[in-house]
Amino acid sequence: MAMVRITINGRELNVDAGSTVLQAAQQAGIDIPTLCHHPALQDIGACRMCLVEVAKQRALQPACTFPVSEGMDVQTESPKVVAARKFVLELLFSERNHYCMFCQMSGDCELQALAYRYGLDHWTYERPHEPLPVDGSRRYFMLDHNRCILCRRCVRACEEISANHTLGERLRGAKTMVSADLDAAFGQSTCVSCGTCLQVCPTGALIERYSAYRGRDANHELQHTPSVCAACPVGCGIDVAHRANHVVRISGDWDAEPNHGLLCVAGRFEPFDEVRERVTRPMVRRNGALVEADWEAALGAAAEALKKARSKAAIATARATNETFQAMAALFETAGIWERPVPKLEYGEAGALSDLDGADAIVVAGATPGTRQRVVAYRIRRALDHGARLFLIGSDEYLAPHATLAVADAEAEKAVRMAAGAASPVVLYGADLGPGARAALRQLAEKARFIRLVEGANAAGAAAEGVGAWNGTAEVEALYVLAGDDPAEAPALPKAGFRIVQAAFKSALTAGADVVLPSPTWAERQGHLTNLEGRVRPFDAILSAPEGVPAEWQPLVSLAERMGKK
Amino acid sequence: MAEPLYRANVLVCGGTGCTASGSLAVRQAMAEELKRRGLADEVRLVETGCRGFCAMGPVMIIYPEGIFYCQVTAADVPTIVEETLVKGRVVQRLTYQEPLTHKAIPFYKDIPFYGKQYRIALRNCGLIDPENIDEYIARDGYAALAKALSEMTPEQVIDTVKRAGLRGRGGAGFPVGMKWELCRKSPGSEKYLLCNADEGDPGAFMDRSILEGDPHSLVEGMIIASYAIGCHEGYIYCRAEYPLAIQRLKIAIRQAEEYGLLGDNILGSNHSFRLHIKEGAGAFVCGEETALMASVEGRRGEPRPRPPYPAVAGLWNKPSNINNVKSYVNVPPIILRGAEWFAERGTERSKGTAVFALTGKVNNTGLVEVPMGITLGEIIFDVGGGIPKGKKFKAVQTGGPLGGCLPASQLNTPVDYESLTAAGATMGSGGMIVADEDTCMVELAKFFLTFAQAESCGKCVPCRVGGKRMLEILTRICAGKGKLEDIETVQALAEGMNNGALCALGQLTPGPVKATLRYFLDEYKAHIEDKYCPAGVCKALVRARCINACPAGVDVPSYVSMIAQGRYAEGLAIHRERNPFALACGRVCPAFCEEKCRRGDIDQPVAVRQLKRFMADHEADIPWTPKVPEKKWPEKVAVVGGGPAGLTAALRLAERGYTVTVFEAAPKPGGWMQYGIPEYRLPKAALQKEIDAIARAGVEIRTNTALGRDFTLDDLTGKMGYKAVVLAIGAQRSRRLGVPGEDLKGVMHATDFLRDVAMGKPVDLTGKKVVVVGGGNTAIDAARTALRLGASAVHVVYRRTRAEMPAQGTEVAEAAEEGVQFHFLVNPSRILGPGYITGIELVAQELGEFDEGGRRRPKPIEGSGFVIAADVVVPAIGQGTDLSCLNGDAPETNRDSTFKVDSLLATSRPGVFAAGDAVLGPATVIEAVAQGNQAALAVDAYLRGYKAGNARRMTEYRTTDLSYKLEDYAEAHRAEMPARDPDERAHTFEEIELGFDEETARAEACRCLRCDLEYEEFMAKQEADEG
Repeated sequence: MAMVRITINGRELNVDAGSTVLQAAQQAGIDIPTLCHHPALQDIGACRMCLVEVAKQRALQPACTFPVSEGMDVQTESPKVVAARKFVLELLFSERNHYCMFCQMSGDCELQALAYRYGLDHWTYERPHEPLPVDGSRRYFMLDHNRCILCRRCVRACEEISANHTLGERLRGAKTMVSADLDAAFGQSTCVSCGTCLQVCPTGALIERYSAYRGRDANHELQHTPSVCAACPVGCGIDVAHRANHVVRISGDWDAEPNHGLLCVAGRFEPFDEVRERVTRPMVRRNGALVEADWEAALGAAAEALKKARSKAAIATARATNETFQAMAALFETAGIWERPVPKLEYGEAGALSDLDGADAIVVAGATPGTRQRVVAYRIRRALDHGARLFLIGSDEYLAPHATLAVADAEAEKAVRMAAGAASPVVLYGADLGPGARAALRQLAEKARFIRLVEGANAAGAAAEGVGAWNGTAEVEALYVLAGDDPAEAPALPKAGFRIVQAAFKSALTAGADVVLPSPTWAERQGHLTNLEGRVRPFDAILSAPEGVPAEWQPLVSLAERMGKK
Repeated sequence: MAEPLYRANVLVCGGTGCTASGSLAVRQAMAEELKRRGLADEVRLVETGCRGFCAMGPVMIIYPEGIFYCQVTAADVPTIVEETLVKGRVVQRLTYQEPLTHKAIPFYKDIPFYGKQYRIALRNCGLIDPENIDEYIARDGYAALAKALSEMTPEQVIDTVKRAGLRGRGGAGFPVGMKWELCRKSPGSEKYLLCNADEGDPGAFMDRSILEGDPHSLVEGMIIASYAIGCHEGYIYCRAEYPLAIQRLKIAIRQAEEYGLLGDNILGSNHSFRLHIKEGAGAFVCGEETALMASVEGRRGEPRPRPPYPAVAGLWNKPSNINNVKSYVNVPPIILRGAEWFAERGTERSKGTAVFALTGKVNNTGLVEVPMGITLGEIIFDVGGGIPKGKKFKAVQTGGPLGGCLPASQLNTPVDYESLTAAGATMGSGGMIVADEDTCMVELAKFFLTFAQAESCGKCVPCRVGGKRMLEILTRICAGKGKLEDIETVQALAEGMNNGALCALGQLTPGPVKATLRYFLDEYKAHIEDKYCPAGVCKALVRARCINACPAGVDVPSYVSMIAQGRYAEGLAIHRERNPFALACGRVCPAFCEEKCRRGDIDQPVAVRQLKRFMADHEADIPWTPKVPEKKWPEKVAVVGGGPAGLTAALRLAERGYTVTVFEAAPKPGGWMQYGIPEYRLPKAALQKEIDAIARAGVEIRTNTALGRDFTLDDLTGKMGYKAVVLAIGAQRSRRLGVPGEDLKGVMHATDFLRDVAMGKPVDLTGKKVVVVGGGNTAIDAARTALRLGASAVHVVYRRTRAEMPAQGTEVAEAAEEGVQFHFLVNPSRILGPGYITGIELVAQELGEFDEGGRRRPKPIEGSGFVIAADVVVPAIGQGTDLSCLNGDAPETNRDSTFKVDSLLATSRPGVFAAGDAVLGPATVIEAVAQGNQAALAVDAYLRGYKAGNARRMTEYRTTDLSYKLEDYAEAHRAEMPARDPDERAHTFEEIELGFDEETARAEACRCLRCDLEYEEFMAKQEADEG
């Protein structure tokens, strides 16, 4: 890329010709304050915090949108600039309720930090602020208009990242308000609770109910550990904030493929819904009743039963790690996950979710990403915003309103024919792929990238270890059930004379087991997960498991040892 | 079928202004009448677009003669047909009449409104049927397009526009040709052409009139632009509030397509162009180019930062060119007639013409097109015909709500981009709103700010929040709750918005506020410090317009209501709280209250002065002894000068418990009331009663005691022991003419002349020819006095016109009735002698540039000198204070010899205050009284050590109930004052006015609308709202 020479605060720099003043300054380590700017969002130059003085320009210019040019001379903290920034801050503080000490974001708030930086120690203007409503109609988070600075990061996140277009502005001028849909209560709106707005809000306007007042980053009260979401096979990168061995908040990891910060309700909020009772000690059935036992006794009983059984099998949640599946495959010849099988097309080149970005046609066949792989659905809508067309074979309630054409499998040919004109189509197919689509999609074999939407968080990792979808017999003598912390109820299981259940929480399943073995939760385990693209991601334990709860794979390995297998 | 050959064309304006005043009915009536009379084949009826003279709508022009009829109604139509179209005569009563002379001007070409105009953008408006492309073509329409396409390369078109010097008429003034070139050179084959027809300024209708009156000129201009730039798709962004404009544009586009002027291969060339209309929803910010493009794209109409500029990435991120309607319509004449022709008009950097929608307090409201470089004054006074109802010009707002307003001192500012910006306004897209003396500049700034901040899109912080904060502060100031530091805060807000806002809307929102702060800071301060709205507009500060207009703040509605009830003594007591001279002011007051009386908006103002006189006369024989406290303060106060200011100050100080001495140089107290105002206006007997009352308050009046002669200022504060001094020494030294012969015998300066007469010195003018020079009240007094002293002829010569005379209109009229001869626009150059005066040489004057106060400065017409015979010349061109009595140790003075005082009338010398003409220059009794009140308050504050406020609020106003039904007096007309016959009175010093009888007075008092009661209601409601 071409370079230009510019001067910032007297320092000569060589920077990319296409960059903005802000980018150039950041590269050089020069800090220009921002508010409406967010690296994941398009810049709009609205808040005027990043104003800088550019020689030969009549007015101050926003660094976030102003492009560099050869010989440009920029001052980022000149008296005029500082005055303009203070002016903006004074106005913002006069606009709504910014009594920081009562705000849960106090300490973590970008507005507050800037006020400190520019020495705001009093209110310049009389504050006629009238209380605005707090929209508490959403389950997981609230919108407090009183803290809102109308930077529109949330609006842009809703538009550019999740592409859900729920948030927008209503009215104008001083009356401008962020609103969901056309002024609907947030809770009754089209919001899908992806929570991206929450993640970009610089103040306490969007507040997550669970994490509020549970700790802040400012005093290092919170620790952060990156991890991988185990809610579905998309395998989003997450950043987990935790404190005192409790998870406080889950955010999308901006740098992670394939989500780049985006999450869905299942990954961001639902883990906090956990109310089940924990299994912390092994149990064995004695005289018809389950009683606590030590590991030695429990594993002994399990091993004995497995040894005795003429037929045995294992069935597992797809949330288990690659390491666990490996151990399971080693121990059981018959093993499977309890998710539906997704057929694999014999033609076409496999693609990655990033292919959606450049796609001009997207075919979704026999899949329901809108409920099963939500982040994929959001990325599809994002592609539609950039001009792609969507062809839906089968049904997906979330995507259907945005499809150019939605057909049943029998008419798949019609949809595929329309998509065939595209230059770079992407096909996503899933468990309900029908014969019509299977036949029709062949037309796109040469041109399109194909993405298989497997079901179950680590279904791809399981398959790689030889643990496919459960396809076993209807009855075995001994059955090993790995339920882990899967929030879903286990499906109908084969009949078994003896049941060993490895689970993190008590359930009907553990109640009916002959041996119960404790299992860690998602935050307590470590290992690898493989997402639907085949991307293998390692992750570390975030919390320490309760004493006596071993690694997820440990009971399987112990049993194998006891049974003489290596 | 060929059209019949018509012998006459009747053009009826179908512009929005005339349509609003009923032109549709006129057109229908005309059509029916022509049909009924069988003239439909002879006389062609054309509905045109706006002809500009909206104030006179509906207007009609009849060709071939070019007869101009205005304010035509449907009922006039049969007369017009009968008289003009059948008999060929002009209907005089429908012609335009020159407002000052009432002279009828029957022909369009002679009307002064059009005289200084030059029409390029409006060339066809009002002359053609906008829905007929053939009429446009007949006036060279599309000839420029043909020329461009067949004879010129795109580069040549751009070069021509550049050489013509055409700048963007949207307001910013960016060179049009350069903009086109940038877009042309921008890479990419897909480019867009946009027209900003989103005219959103309040009071502006320039674009609208063009779109409605001559839509093809825009279409042609855009096609030429599209050829020059190389784009094939265009959008006209027009607000949905302009349905007629949109309809006519649609017709024009369709017709142009039918004629092969729009679409593929225009006129057989390789150039293709399609034009669409996009209706905007009326957001002002969508006039900003990037917001406009966002709106065309279907997004929220908000601007985005530039760069990238539209020429690089505009509509749908493609290179785009955007111009205003007026920019495009200027293009065809430039192409057709050449760059040089266009550049002939205008100034060095602003070529061509400017179109303005002239509105507000100006006689000829309407649409005008004038050459760039014409001054604001010429537009307002020559084209616009000046200010209605003889009011004073105050300011003109240009550039719409984001512009700025300029005061009278800026009337010589030429209209061009740079000059207006330097003066603190902007060219904008062409709104021009005139404000008169009744406009409050704080309120005006607030009005525009209310608009601009409501139209903020809300995207950037400085505009969204800054505008709101600023409006809150201005609202506070208008409500009388401002603080002095608010001004600084507003200035900081303005600066911050200027520097920090994202787009021009936010950057320029403070424009009107900044301009008013620059030129009318005193008015802001009056609102804040004195809780006083000088223009009488701000509701919370104006109890009633009459009270507000009175310099002394006399509670007019209260005493008038007392008169209505026959409670004269009480009324008089109310009056005396602020003005002790009811008898005098009942006779000589110019009655500022009546000028602002709201009854005058309906019919005629309440005769307040005459009511006052009746009330005072009624009680005249009951001696008034002002109440003074028994306990006196130890400090003594001296008042120098026994005129109205001095006497009032003395009275007020006595009422506050001070021992006061008035030192008067003359044999009798009363000052100018005694020795200036002639007996026929103010009988000395009446004056004496009021002076006696003040003496009864314990004020010692030492006459024949002169400062400088008998004592000095140092004596007063030193050995004489006065702790405070009020200098109310008046302004009695006549200004000299400064012409040869001024020292000849027979030259009598007006002040000396009037004083001599008042003192009874023998001045015999029997059979003499007297020439009075000047136009103020003193000049008129001198002239009428001369007449009464037996002069055979009395001439008043004045260098300006009657409209500019500072003298009271009634005085001038009465003088004329008595036989005084007036000569306007003449000025003496020499008094002829030798020895005794034989005559005076006068030079004719013409009015030139505007002076600081907004009056035109006369300048001599060379070689126009002439002589009139005279025996006596009385110069009366102004007065100054004689400071010689202060022996050089006077407190600081101004250049015009008045004292330099602060708002509390304190001079530079501690303990010394000044009041009256010595502060104001020659003024009126009531103004002197007001100063007396204020000086007394200031002295008290000085001696007692507190901070004085404005004396207007010295005492509480009272509320009196309404004692009559307003409806009963709805039709009542102002009572006439009985007066002596002019022939009789011209030879006697007997009082001219005879006074009301009781019945007349009480009925007249009931005409008062009692605005003060409405104020009480308003304040109570406001209090309730806040509570």
